[in-house]
Amino acid sequence: MNAAALHPEADDRVLALGERGTLTRAGFWRRVQALRSELDTRPARRWALVCEDAGWFAAGLFALADPRRTVVLPQAPQAGSLSATGAKVDAVLTDRPGDFQGFTLLEAREPADSIPAKPQQPDDAAAFEFYTSGSSGAPKCVPKTWSQLRLEVEALEQEWGASLGDAVVAGTVPHYHLYGLLFRILWPIHAGRRFITDLCLQAADLRAAAEHGRCIVVSSPAFLSRITAFTELPDAATVSAVFSSGAPLPDEAAERLVQQWGPAAIEVYGSTETGGVGWRAWDGGGERELWRPIQGVVTELREEAAGARLWVRSGCTWQGDWMPTGDLARRRADGRFALLGRADDVVKFEDKRLSFGEMRARLAQHDWVEDARLLLLPGRRKLIGAVVVLNGEGRAALAAGGKTAVRDALRAWLRGSYEALLIPRKWRFPERLPDNEMGKTQQSALLTLFEDRP
Amino acid sequence: MNTLTEDLKQLIIDSLDLEDVKPADIDPKAPLFGDGLGLDSIDALELGVAIQKKYHVKLDANSADTRQHFHSVENLAKFIESQKPV
Repeated sequence: MNAAALHPEADDRVLALGERGTLTRAGFWRRVQALRSELDTRPARRWALVCEDAGWFAAGLFALADPRRTVVLPQAPQAGSLSATGAKVDAVLTDRPGDFQGFTLLEAREPADSIPAKPQQPDDAAAFEFYTSGSSGAPKCVPKTWSQLRLEVEALEQEWGASLGDAVVAGTVPHYHLYGLLFRILWPIHAGRRFITDLCLQAADLRAAAEHGRCIVVSSPAFLSRITAFTELPDAATVSAVFSSGAPLPDEAAERLVQQWGPAAIEVYGSTETGGVGWRAWDGGGERELWRPIQGVVTELREEAAGARLWVRSGCTWQGDWMPTGDLARRRADGRFALLGRADDVVKFEDKRLSFGEMRARLAQHDWVEDARLLLLPGRRKLIGAVVVLNGEGRAALAAGGKTAVRDALRAWLRGSYEALLIPRKWRFPERLPDNEMGKTQQSALLTLFEDRP
Repeated sequence: MNTLTEDLKQLIIDSLDLEDVKPADIDPKAPLFGDGLGLDSIDALELGVAIQKKYHVKLDANSADTRQHFHSVENLAKFIESQKPV
């Protein structure tokens, strides 16, 4: 056991770094301890954790993780996102107190140096609620226990840890979704690596991260398929590994990454519900469509009307039981599998899972909206289009303010619950939906509404 | 009228395929992301690439600076000006 472990107060190894400064391991555990002491005096049982800063998010998570409490994790760090979950919470732990007026709050504040640093792993039974876009129209609650998160992180370290060494973890995906939380925060904390608290949005941000040492880039196809367009990428020699998750990386993007940059992206297939399921990396060879299961994961196919759905079981699935994925698949005898498309109506947009049903319901709650439809518009860059039928009040607003005013108001309305990326870019306001004789709105008819302009 | 500012507005509209937005609608001081024009993280990437292509500027390896440059059209213009060879 090293000296730092014996004297956590003096453990000045860096845990996290970013624009807001450097957080040592001692500093991290002091934050956790200060929050824990405060939480012990609070009767609240159901806590939402909403921290924009990844370092505080981590401290809040460790402090709240306790079998006596449930931690609610909204899809985005906004009050609207919390209310959209429909989850009842008693209180909010946040570094954005201004956004949560009317809630019982525990504010993330730097503790005094006199607070002791006490490293303590959460109890395996500590309960979390993640939220994802469900197909039914409302965000879907995905319950998890600390043991699932812990087993998932241990599997990642077993699968890749040995090859990664003492690298610094930089992410282009948010820390409040399961993928970012696991790869950007919990895995580095578990393995003793450092992580960058700020989200990397440009190639330049990755170059900045690389100045702290060799990097593990936690990213997604949306970012990786564009990054090679930048002229100044971080030197490939400074990159230990690139992870990609959220959706499959298109073949040409995977190939371009290797040829124009260097590291082959390790693609991880999984979902909030199932955790990590499989992985693959572009090696220039054939059989790229095949994924291999992550250590400890067992898969099988179950036939249904749409085809053979992939089911999965691991330490990370709920109570270690079989769970369905959202995908159709075929499977080889050696366990490798190929994905054949989504089995449900939730779409993937720039790696994000988006339920059009949910967004349609949200739009219909606006005072001006009678009904709405959403669709993906083809083009160099796919965009989301919204077709909205306005009610009397909405038509009056359209007559008074014009299309742009109504569009901007509805965009602002959606911004309360969705991240900017998912807000429809193009809008049409027909008097009625182009329904066919069966009363169903056809995608092709919706699409023609967007063909009037180049 | 500052032509670089106007060029940047047009570049933003063209490269991001903004519909029903005219250069005059973009306030050079307003935030491009978040509550202003409402651009997203993919827009930031696309815009970064477009600006690099058109103006051959070098983005510093400093996230805080980059974020500052991309805050508004005015900041972008100042940044590009500062990168021009004297």
